[in-house]
Amino acid sequence: MKWFDQLFERSARKVAHSTSRRGTLARLGKYLVVGAIALPVLPFDRVNRDAHALAPGGGKKKAPDESQCEYWRYCALDGFLCSCCGGTTSSCPPGTEMSKVAWIGTCRNPVDGKDYLISYNDCCGKNACGRCLCNFNLGDRPAYRMGLHNDINWCMANTSNMFHCTTSVIIGLAEQHS
Amino acid sequence: MRRICYAFGLAMGVLCITAPGRAELPAETLTVAKLPPSNAHRLYVSDITIQHIVDNRLHVIDGEHFKYLGQVSTGYAGQSTLSRDRRELYVTATYFPRLARGERTDVVEIHDPNTLEWRAEILIPPRRAQALPYQGIVRTSVDGRWLFVQNATPAASVTVVDLKARKFAAEIPNPGCWIIIPSETAADRFSTICGDGSLQTMVLNHDGTLKSKTKSGRFFDPDADPVYVQSQHLGDRHYLVSFQGKVFLADLSQETPTIEAPWSLLSQADLKRKWRPGGYQLFAVHRDSKRMFIGMHKNGAEGTHKNPADEIWVIDLATKKRLARLPGHAAVALVVSQTPEPRLYALDAVKMALAKFDAGAKPKFLGRLEGVAESATMLELH
Repeated sequence: MKWFDQLFERSARKVAHSTSRRGTLARLGKYLVVGAIALPVLPFDRVNRDAHALAPGGGKKKAPDESQCEYWRYCALDGFLCSCCGGTTSSCPPGTEMSKVAWIGTCRNPVDGKDYLISYNDCCGKNACGRCLCNFNLGDRPAYRMGLHNDINWCMANTSNMFHCTTSVIIGLAEQHS
Repeated sequence: MRRICYAFGLAMGVLCITAPGRAELPAETLTVAKLPPSNAHRLYVSDITIQHIVDNRLHVIDGEHFKYLGQVSTGYAGQSTLSRDRRELYVTATYFPRLARGERTDVVEIHDPNTLEWRAEILIPPRRAQALPYQGIVRTSVDGRWLFVQNATPAASVTVVDLKARKFAAEIPNPGCWIIIPSETAADRFSTICGDGSLQTMVLNHDGTLKSKTKSGRFFDPDADPVYVQSQHLGDRHYLVSFQGKVFLADLSQETPTIEAPWSLLSQADLKRKWRPGGYQLFAVHRDSKRMFIGMHKNGAEGTHKNPADEIWVIDLATKKRLARLPGHAAVALVVSQTPEPRLYALDAVKMALAKFDAGAKPKFLGRLEGVAESATMLELH
């Protein structure tokens, strides 16, 4: 679920940072509809893609881990990190339900320099987790592009649609279209 | 000396106080405070209370004196809008009988903005968008007859509520499109922004069902430079702004929407510094002076479109020139009163505070009210 982040100032600064790091990862292309989810197919320019990658042992500071908002998979996540709520980036906390629909982001893994499609599935059925609220909007679009929109409850299609937290599941490499 | 006893129930027993004989405080009678008469600067602040999203609230603020007046409960992912005559406040909300489980019920609640009391409710299909409040998710028609509620399952549709008959009237699909922009001249019409870069206008029958729909041509690029869903109007001409600062003017006075050629908020120097618009309710228009107030941030890029404002720019819509730059107060939502001496209010996203500006001929900052909300994103003026 894309929700408002009270640490907005910090997030905004980090967005600017990560966006400049991603350089030209700027424009989204056409959309491929798969099931209920609109997947972006990204024709973005990959020039300088590895120029600022955070390589292990590369003399740069340690890359953020999955309990931190700046972790690479969270580039379009807005919600409570399930990693902080008893789940992981790809599992819902015990006793919750996986959302049936999700929004999609495209995030660059700084370790291998590759761009991955990330499915932001919410976990549902319990009250708001309330821990590790994060807010990044790379590639987020208004809800007329619903599959890329993070200001709405993605538990909406579940029988139990109370929003609890958000995962970030790798679904594959982003394809390059020329 | 007086001996006063209070009973606290079985567990606690009885507490007796011996009051002193002089300088004692008078006994009080509990009352319910009366809301002061409304004015054009009363603010309604929508708060999603993300940390406990099941029980949202609407904060009611006296914007003239910057005084907290009261609250309306707005349920799970609730949103509100005032009636056109300002005599009713409509809240769309979701409820579950067991807080986080049980059968979902969606309602339009009717509250009295003069007392903040609940009056009535109308059941609607359980498909309303449980979304961060955006102005166009719940809107009234220009005559006040219809309430339009954006739905998402995630397939998009619009629930039409007959406010006169106090009942659900119809559901109109708007697939691939989002948000409600009511016509300001025709009560039987609203428009919606579509993912193919167009506007679509829906015309209603007398019973609220769909009569016809017509699309404009493609006028924006939803991939490279999408438009925000926030809109403001002068008559039935509605302003839209794109992520990269283009301004579009859509004429909704006819059944087919028409859009003027866009212009840019940004000079070459602004582009160099990467100024971009940002926020949720990111701009407001004062209609008499034809001025736009818009939240802008530096070093804009993909993904910064909801960033809080570094500055608020004042734009003359007649000449398309910037008139002034105001401090940004980390604004993500702006409203301006339509009064001869207008006031601009900005919602500070970092401190959840309100900033007030004189929005007249010489715009200037007037003051702040701190600690208004928990996680608000939308403002409405009475």
